[in-house]
Amino acid sequence: MTLEDAVRLVPDGARIALGGFAVYQKPMAFVRELIRQRRRNLVVVGSAHSYDVDMLVGAGCLASVETSYVGLEKHGLARNFRRAIEAGMLKVVDYPEMVSWDRFRASQEGLEFWPVNFLGGNDVLAYNPAIRTFSNPVSGKPMQAVPAANANVAVIHAIAADERGNVVFPARRLLPQNGDVLIARSCDRVIVTVEKIVGTSFIRRHARLVEVPSYRTTAVVEIPFGAHPTPALGRYFADDAHMEEYVNPSATAENFAAYSERYVIRPANHYAYLDLLGAERLCGLQDLDSLL
Amino acid sequence: MTEALITLHETLAAVLAHEFRDEEVGFTGLLTGQAAATFGTAIPLVAMELARLTHAPNLTILLGGCYHNPDLSDLDELPDSEHSAMLRDLPVESQMTNYPGQWVLKRGDIDFGFSSAVQVDKLGNINSVCVWPYSSPKVRLVGPILQPEHMTLFGREYVMMPHHDRRNFVEKVDFVSGVGYPGGLAGRHQLGLDHGGPELVVTPRCIFDFDKERGRMKVRSIHEGVGRDALQSATGFDLGELSEVPVTDRPTAEELELIRNKIDPKKMLLQPFDG
Repeated sequence: MTLEDAVRLVPDGARIALGGFAVYQKPMAFVRELIRQRRRNLVVVGSAHSYDVDMLVGAGCLASVETSYVGLEKHGLARNFRRAIEAGMLKVVDYPEMVSWDRFRASQEGLEFWPVNFLGGNDVLAYNPAIRTFSNPVSGKPMQAVPAANANVAVIHAIAADERGNVVFPARRLLPQNGDVLIARSCDRVIVTVEKIVGTSFIRRHARLVEVPSYRTTAVVEIPFGAHPTPALGRYFADDAHMEEYVNPSATAENFAAYSERYVIRPANHYAYLDLLGAERLCGLQDLDSLL
Repeated sequence: MTEALITLHETLAAVLAHEFRDEEVGFTGLLTGQAAATFGTAIPLVAMELARLTHAPNLTILLGGCYHNPDLSDLDELPDSEHSAMLRDLPVESQMTNYPGQWVLKRGDIDFGFSSAVQVDKLGNINSVCVWPYSSPKVRLVGPILQPEHMTLFGREYVMMPHHDRRNFVEKVDFVSGVGYPGGLAGRHQLGLDHGGPELVVTPRCIFDFDKERGRMKVRSIHEGVGRDALQSATGFDLGELSEVPVTDRPTAEELELIRNKIDPKKMLLQPFDG
């Protein structure tokens, strides 16, 4: 499937779960195509966000965001996000970090909520009528029912999958990659962008690492460097130079429009985007991981 | 090594080290930006290493919340990205790659943690979400992140404030993203919170602890060279009588030796003489 066709699976107004975590392994090529197709009124639900949400906000694609963090870590605040909220143009529903994962655990378990017992007195609870307080039926102590993530569609960026959608996750992985496994198991429409589409023999050799089997996957698209400028663990590092280059463009609406024109709208496709970055930049990002 | 050269950061690391007990598990995130990284990550790491080298050899350090007892001598600079290839490759005793993972958050495996905030109030509530009002705030910040969990599910919390001015130390925070002691311990109990809460608030001017029964922050010690009037005027709530409050203890010669020569010989964690 092409990237364009995969993005057409996401209608205006969808609740979309974007994988990765904070500034790590975000499905950025997919995000850029959402902007190109001028998707509107999306609700992003996730754990922690950065360039993905900031660019979608800057392009006017979002109605609201449900997450624990939107920021660029060492590159500072997410400026489009900040500006939109301060102007009252974007709704954000704040959830604690682990509770954000618990919401996906609820969806994975087919539950409407996840019970927690530590939100009393927190304004996360005070400002969010979707979190309901109830009495623990055993002890009578106060508890909170946190609504399930309930995404209509989940999008993750992975290393490899076959055409049928068996998705391989490297053995040497960290929290963002296992978070993607959870997200992919919490939703019935799962779109996976991958660094490379591999043959079935490759899948069979890595069967234990196929955490998302074909019947869970709706669409697979091959997009090398599809997480750029965020890293894909084991393949390439974060493009810190590009991330720094993003800081000023995102500081005002006018500057962001120019950035978006150059990197999102004008490139004819993802390979034209990579050409814009250049071979030298991309080669310099290689992650050799372990050679053992 | 003369006492005149003792830095604030060394002093704070030693004060914190005395707080930790053997066999405990301490959690520090990876904060970014020079001041926040120093207060939120570097000083806690030095403090925990110092405790391990003195009275708490079996303390477990969680770097970035995931990396158990990292071998910091393998690093040339303090990491600034939690889930990067750099930390993937850092030698550690256990690497948490999933939630739920090695530590069991909701059963209380984490004995203490460190957090930072833009505002803290006299009840010990902290805020990293926004400067009032919530729906169209004057300043929108990153969000609650892990603060709600830090202030309730961890055994105790050390709030590390890199700046101490009236805009940071306020009568009431604009958004409670981590709960302190509203109504004291009884108030926390009413909210269903029978565990954890802030223990100390550490700033460039002083160290606060809490009257937990009353639910009120109070000055435990004032750093050398900080005047009592200056401290009160930099704080947005009444600190009460300060005349009896002692000066913050200096590190011992042995502690300084360990910090400078064993824990941070490359000056990677605490920049020298910048306190």
